[in-house]
Amino acid sequence: MEHAFFDEYSHSDSVIHRLEPRVKILAFLLCILFIAFATGYNLKIFVPYSITVISLILLSKVPVAFIFKRVVSLLPFILMVTIFLPFIQSVEGGEKVSWGALTLPVSYNGIRLFVSVVMKSCLSVMLTTLLMVSTDFASLLKALEKLRVPSLLIMIISFMYRYVFVLEDELMKMRQAKECRSVGGSQWFHLKAQANMLGVLFLRAYERAEKVYLAMCSRGFDGHARSIYDSKIKTRDMLFLVFLAVILTLIKLYG
Amino acid sequence: MHIPDGFLSVKVSAATWVISLCGIALCLKKVTARLKDKMIPLMGVMSAFVFAAQMLNFPIFAGTSGHLLASALASILLGPYAAAIVMTCVLVVQCFLFQDGGITALGANILNMALVAAIGGYGVYSIAKKMTGIIVATAMAAWLSVVLASSVCALELAASGTVALTIVLPAMALAHALTGGIEAAVTCLIINFILKVRKDLLYKP
Repeated sequence: MEHAFFDEYSHSDSVIHRLEPRVKILAFLLCILFIAFATGYNLKIFVPYSITVISLILLSKVPVAFIFKRVVSLLPFILMVTIFLPFIQSVEGGEKVSWGALTLPVSYNGIRLFVSVVMKSCLSVMLTTLLMVSTDFASLLKALEKLRVPSLLIMIISFMYRYVFVLEDELMKMRQAKECRSVGGSQWFHLKAQANMLGVLFLRAYERAEKVYLAMCSRGFDGHARSIYDSKIKTRDMLFLVFLAVILTLIKLYG
Repeated sequence: MHIPDGFLSVKVSAATWVISLCGIALCLKKVTARLKDKMIPLMGVMSAFVFAAQMLNFPIFAGTSGHLLASALASILLGPYAAAIVMTCVLVVQCFLFQDGGITALGANILNMALVAAIGGYGVYSIAKKMTGIIVATAMAAWLSVVLASSVCALELAASGTVALTIVLPAMALAHALTGGIEAAVTCLIINFILKVRKDLLYKP
C-alpha cells in the first residue's frame, strides 16, 4: 500500500533544516501569530509578510511548487467560508454588481476583508507546511515535549503516528477486497459494508492496543517513556529568532 | 469544519485556547484515573483508528461523498473523556501534518470537535439511552454532535467578526444537519455491528 510521505524533504540540508527544532517551532509560531492576527483593512502589510515567508521557503531549499500545491489543495475550504464576505459587509462605499438577473451589493471593505483573510490563511498554511516538511515528526514531537506540552499527550500522539499507517493499510486492504467482490449493488448496501469495515477495524485496533500494552508491560513499562534529547540551542539559533522577531516587528510598525 | 489560521480574532483565539487546555487537562486526569498506564497505548491506537476512519469516504448522493467526524462514535465506544483526548490527538496531527486547521485556531477546533462534539454527544447518548434503545440514542448523539460542533464553530467565526452570525449560523447548521444524517446512519451501523460481535467493548460508566 502506498502512503503520502509528509516529511519528504525533512532530511535535506539548509539553514532552516539545521535550526534547533524548539527554536524553529517558536520562530514559525511567532511568524504565524504576527500574520494571523494582522489587523484592519490595510492590505499593503501583506507584501512584506509574503516576502518574508517566500524567503524562508527559498532558504529552506524546499521546492516552492511543493508548498504551493498544499496551499492550492486547501484553498477550497478557505474560500467556502470567505466567498460571501464581499457581499455582506456594511454598505458604506459599496457598489452594485449585476450578474445576469442577479444584482448584489458589493462593499470595498468586504473585498478588503476577504483578501486579508485569504492572505492570512494562505501564508499561515505555507509556514506550517514549511515547518512540517523541514522537520521530521519525531523530533518535532520531542521539541514540543521540551516546550512543556504535556508528555502524556505527546506519548499518545507518538503511538498514534506509529499505528496510523498500520491501520490505514488494513482499511485499504479491506476496501480493496470489498471492491473486488461487490459490483453494482444499492447505495445502502455499500454504506452498510463500509460501516461494518470500520467496525472490524475498531475491533482489530482495540485488540492490537491490548497486545501492545501487554508487550510493553512485559518489557517493564511503568507509565513513562524515557528518551534522550541531546540537541542544544546554539547562538546561531538565537540570532535567527531575534532577527526574525525584529523583521516582523518592523513590518508591523511601518507596514 | 476545521478553522484555518487568520479566521479568528485574538480574543476568540485566546479564549478558546484557554478553555480547551483546561478541558484537556481535566480529561487527561479522568482517563488516567480510570485506565492508568494502559491509557497510553489504548488512546494512541484509538486515535489512529479515528484518523483512519475519517479517511474513509462514504457515498452520500449522486456522486458526492463525505467522511465521518467520529466524535460521537468515539465517545460511545470509549467514554466522553477518552473520546475528547482521542479527538484532540487527531486534530493536533491533522493541524501539523495536513495543515487542516491552523495552529492559532487549534484551540477552537479542539473545543468544537473534541470537547463539544464528544462530551455533548455522550451527554445526549446517556440521557436518550435510558428512554429509548442504544441505536436510537446513538443516532441522536451522532447527529447532534455534528450540528453542535458546527454551530459552535459558526459562533466563533461570528464573534471574531469574520462573518455575520445571521448568515453563517443557519448556513453551517443546515449544511451539517444534512451531513449529520449520514454521520448518524453510519455510526448506528457501526455500533449495531459491535453490539452483535463484541458487546462488552461498549463504554460502561
